[in-house]
Amino acid sequence: MNAVLFDVALTAYILAAAAAIGSVAGRRKQLGWVALLLTQAGFVCHTAAVILRGIELRRLPFMTMAEVISLVIWAVILVDLWVERRHRIRPLSAFVLPVILALGLGLPTGLRSIALEPPVPSGWVVVHVALVLVGLAALVVNFGGALMYLLQERQLKARRPGKIYYRLPPLEALDRLTVATLTVGFPFLTVGLALGVLSVRAAWGSLMTFDPLALFSLLMWVIYAAILVGRVMGRWRGHRAAYFSIAGFCLMLVTLGAGVFLHGRHGS
Amino acid sequence: MSPPGTLFVAGMNHRTAPVALREQLALEEEKIREILADLAGRGHLEEIMILSTCNRVEVYGVAAVPGEARSLALGRLASQRGLAWRDLEPLVYTVTGEEAALHAFRVAASLDSMVLGEPQILGQVKDAFALAQSVGTAGPVLHALMSQAFSAAKRVRSETEVGRLAVSISYAAVELARKIFEGLEGRSVLLVGAGEMSELAARHLIDQGALTVYVANRTWSRAQELARSLGGAPVPFEQMDATLGLVDIVITSTAAPQPIVTAAAVRAALQARRGRPLFLIDIAVPRNVDPAVNDLENAFCYDIDDLRSVVESNLKERQREAVRAQALLEGEVAKFAARLQQLEVVPTIVSLREKLEAIRRAELERALARLPGSGEETRRVMEALSQAIVNKVLHAPMVKLKASSRAGHGRRWTDMISELFGLRGPGRSRPPE
Repeated sequence: MNAVLFDVALTAYILAAAAAIGSVAGRRKQLGWVALLLTQAGFVCHTAAVILRGIELRRLPFMTMAEVISLVIWAVILVDLWVERRHRIRPLSAFVLPVILALGLGLPTGLRSIALEPPVPSGWVVVHVALVLVGLAALVVNFGGALMYLLQERQLKARRPGKIYYRLPPLEALDRLTVATLTVGFPFLTVGLALGVLSVRAAWGSLMTFDPLALFSLLMWVIYAAILVGRVMGRWRGHRAAYFSIAGFCLMLVTLGAGVFLHGRHGS
Repeated sequence: MSPPGTLFVAGMNHRTAPVALREQLALEEEKIREILADLAGRGHLEEIMILSTCNRVEVYGVAAVPGEARSLALGRLASQRGLAWRDLEPLVYTVTGEEAALHAFRVAASLDSMVLGEPQILGQVKDAFALAQSVGTAGPVLHALMSQAFSAAKRVRSETEVGRLAVSISYAAVELARKIFEGLEGRSVLLVGAGEMSELAARHLIDQGALTVYVANRTWSRAQELARSLGGAPVPFEQMDATLGLVDIVITSTAAPQPIVTAAAVRAALQARRGRPLFLIDIAVPRNVDPAVNDLENAFCYDIDDLRSVVESNLKERQREAVRAQALLEGEVAKFAARLQQLEVVPTIVSLREKLEAIRRAELERALARLPGSGEETRRVMEALSQAIVNKVLHAPMVKLKASSRAGHGRRWTDMISELFGLRGPGRSRPPE
């Protein structure tokens, strides 16, 4: 049942992504509203699906990689809806939702294939997963903001406004969005990963155990830490920060992919 | 029985008539007031309103024979300046019915303007209508037309981008600044040189909230003068490079033969800005800002040609939006047509109701006179009885009239009902007050 609800939510997100892209490319405000409604509807289904899964499996619904990705998506949508409402950066969905789809397409099979009971987690592991989730969600939105920044910057530099120019918010607003999402996302990611490292010491005995997910996570953390330091030093605003955000995001995709496809201690 | 009137618009605009002719027909308010009153007195026009701007002279009217009425009205306008109607006639367009409504909506929404989407025309249409109202030549049809036109124009402004993008160089510069900076409140501006266009752009920026203005000019007195008029501070020309680091927006317009804002100076300024963007607007020809500046990270430099091309693409964008606006207006015309049809049957409904009410009152009084000594109770009962009969009788014809007006043949039924009940002056003539 919960898997079906996930499918419904994912379908709503796919349609919302199409509508959001259409509203940016075709300059139709109505499509923007359609996208927003679909996103909200999908979000409601998704929330219900997560809760239902917890009830049906009688355990916390983020113990497998597929479940975690599903929750990352859930959190991204939450942040996206919040940013659009709060900062009125309307076209954000057109840049964030496609990412969701790239992440989410493996879910329908992933959520159904897991019949195994994962080991009962300690409380710290639950907190570790939850914090990392919030961090990742903020950083996905960070990626969306960075992408819009680079597009808008390119339009302004080229001095020949194209279609997207008219739809995108001012450069500074986009820069502010990437700063805000980074400063929110990074602490969550940091504490979340630190908890992970500590619980690894407890559970696996050694920090040196090879685990692809853990390894890539640390790499990703280093990149985001670098952007933050660069910003604080006043060197990496705008343009450069945006490129690093995109690099960080690519590493995030690799990290999640490693979690799913390479068999390490996190299980698949 | 007065024949039914048709809505029409006739006139000439910037596309059909040369400016030499239009300017002759552009009249001041007092003259129009006089002409309106004069035309209304001649009996050919049920309603009339005159719109006279520098780009158009148009007559909006309701008349039984629009062709005749427009010759009369425009002929009257032409004679004002000693022109003959037959000289004007080839330049005049005339539209009637729903086409006239669409034309009125397009004019009010600025889709018919020389500069697509310019905002003044709506105010001019409102003034023209207010004038006709004050003279008493605007009746129910023009009233319905104009109120619909105003709300349609409002929709076009809020739902499309037709009027939103800058179509002048100085506004285009401001708009670009808004695409770089998030709001212009509190921004600082450096004016290098004291050209007219750069001053205009600076004024726009100040209107949008820009706070500090520095003026650098080779002639110190001119810098002082301009700084004073803009509420800013003059800066010695030699300190221009140092000032670059303090501002968000630079506008240059000097007659210098070589670039005076160098890439090195801008690079230093950007370092001082710690990565915040710097927007340079170079209105001068030859250019004042080294073209290499635009290659620097976080620097955006637009010369006069770039601004022109932005204006051009804004105009194209406005035209694309105009297509959407047109579709929106066509929907509004359909609404207006429905409203007009309702309007067609309203006077008949009113006079029918009044006629029956008059009969009821007269008969009630006669009946009561024949019942001497009847108390308040009797009066109340008879009042209620007669009222109920009138309402029951009226019910069916009212429903029929409203339905037929929606179906588009209200006129047939208003005529029939007027004939049957002996109503005076059916159709569009106003009911007795």
